[in-house]
Amino acid sequence: MRLIDQFKEKLFQRYLVWLCRPARLRRHLKSVLPQPYIPAPVDRKRVRAAALQVELKLFKNPLAYADEMHRRVKEAFEAGAQIVAFPEYNSLPLFGMLPGIDQLEKSYQNAPDQSAGKNTGSGISLADIFSFMTPAVKPFIDLLFSSLAQAYGVYIMAGSYPFAEAGTVVNRSFLYSPEGRLIGSQDKVHLLPVEAEWQLKRGRSFSHFDTPLGRLAIPVCMDATYYETFRILESHRVDIVLLPIANLEEYNYWLALRGIWPRVQESVIYGIKSSLVGSVAGFTFTGRAGIFAPLEITPKRDGVLAEVESFSSEAMAVAELNLDALHQLRLNHPWRDHNPTLT
Amino acid sequence: MRVAALTLAGIKMNSLEDYRNSLLTMLKQTGASLVVLPAYSSLLVGFSTAQLKPPADFFTILKDLTSGYGKWLELFLDLHASAARELEIYLVPGTYFFRESGCIFHSACCFDPEGRVIVSQKQTHLTREEREAGLCRGEALNFFTVGELKAGLIIGNDARHPETGRILALNGADIILHCGALEAGFNCWPQAAGIWAQVQQNQFWAVEAQLSGKLADRSFGAAPIVHGPCEITPGLSGYLARGYPGDSYAAAWLDEPARQELKQKYPLLELLNPEAYSELGRN
Repeated sequence: MRLIDQFKEKLFQRYLVWLCRPARLRRHLKSVLPQPYIPAPVDRKRVRAAALQVELKLFKNPLAYADEMHRRVKEAFEAGAQIVAFPEYNSLPLFGMLPGIDQLEKSYQNAPDQSAGKNTGSGISLADIFSFMTPAVKPFIDLLFSSLAQAYGVYIMAGSYPFAEAGTVVNRSFLYSPEGRLIGSQDKVHLLPVEAEWQLKRGRSFSHFDTPLGRLAIPVCMDATYYETFRILESHRVDIVLLPIANLEEYNYWLALRGIWPRVQESVIYGIKSSLVGSVAGFTFTGRAGIFAPLEITPKRDGVLAEVESFSSEAMAVAELNLDALHQLRLNHPWRDHNPTLT
Repeated sequence: MRVAALTLAGIKMNSLEDYRNSLLTMLKQTGASLVVLPAYSSLLVGFSTAQLKPPADFFTILKDLTSGYGKWLELFLDLHASAARELEIYLVPGTYFFRESGCIFHSACCFDPEGRVIVSQKQTHLTREEREAGLCRGEALNFFTVGELKAGLIIGNDARHPETGRILALNGADIILHCGALEAGFNCWPQAAGIWAQVQQNQFWAVEAQLSGKLADRSFGAAPIVHGPCEITPGLSGYLARGYPGDSYAAAWLDEPARQELKQKYPLLELLNPEAYSELGRN
């Protein structure tokens, strides 16, 4: 890269950091958010959760993105949610800040293999873009979801974000408490082939977090393709798995069924799936947000507590989880067995 | 290869001869070279043909396998071995119980086209009821070859334990043969949570035989199914052939080159991350 280009790149990155600066966001949030809400004590028989389906739109102004996230949290809060889940790649709307994003979209649409996303046509990979945006986006996201969680007194799984770290990029989900504290994060352990092409780095272990709403875990999308994820989380007595997804495929009921639903059946756990839908830069995401439980503790014995109808537009699934019923089922399970000697 | 899953519905069982003839007719009707019968077949056929004394209730069957059962088991296996030989097919005759070192195991086997037992498999995960009845778990999953496919058997409750399918897949299994028996009711979702889910996360074929019939006080009924990975099945459903509970069988042709091509394009098992599974003892 020529020196002048390097200079322009640095300058633009600084512009993004300035645009997303915490002081600006803080001022904005102060003018729109209510006073912090103190949540009522938790009833373990009635934990109310909201799985958001977010329609992908590009925002040139990060404060407009903040307003959008705020609108969705407020909507979930008004539906009585104590825990709110956002989708995977929840920072993609902020790509709108990039000049020339329209050209990028055209270049993808003209590319022979749109799904690859390896190269934007200008020699820049998506991993480069994620890295480039990290200094601006990371503190912005942290302040935004911390403030939203505190203002509405809810737990927020903020979705996942590709962030640069130590020379690589990880796809990381975040969990915030009603006090606005970042409780923890989780790097995606199983990457899609396309993410491997984007040179993302995979996580090496699964975390869990104790809250009054039960023990929570926040693996990411493809992690639910493999039963091992949920077995490990179940062995740590995790009660609720919040799974952000962004499925890069045309919607098909059966393809969509392959993720969290069977995992919840195998490992006796609650599952909350939040999905990103819509199209941008030649990528089309589909999915149906939902809240899932073992067959034995769902009213229709179908493993579904709530699921949105649309696979392509904004929606929200809300349901009540009964942690006592889950624990009772585990204690007295009709068919679960463990065979440590199996080879 | 054409494969079929039977439910035993529609097969006459007034006498053993009756059963044999009726079974042969149905096996021919499927046109399959690999056929799987459901779980508890030895019990249903034994009671229906009066080879076994009818029990008071299902739990008693599991608890009290009399010495008469051993003799019946020999007859049962001989009958199916000769059927496999006569039609020159691979045949899984469903399941039976046997005692070994003081333990009772729920098991199945597979006959080759010459009527030889090429594998026997014990159920490895027990339901609460099976544990209470004193059944023991098998400790290994075995492999065998049907035509050019590497195969494994999954019995009863093992279907709901994904460890079974994963072990078989990681050892190169191309096809899973399942002998199942679910209590009659709305079983679409338990079946999807079982073999369907195993197929989708391992990209193998599966032939799922489910029992249709009554044993003592308990009725069984679920759909016979031939499964494949979603991408190579009609409507991306994961079902190559799917009957209704009460149907006699489901049969389908397997397109193995298509499955191999899918595995190359979307190598699901290569994307596993064993480093993260140390707690499962598989790193």
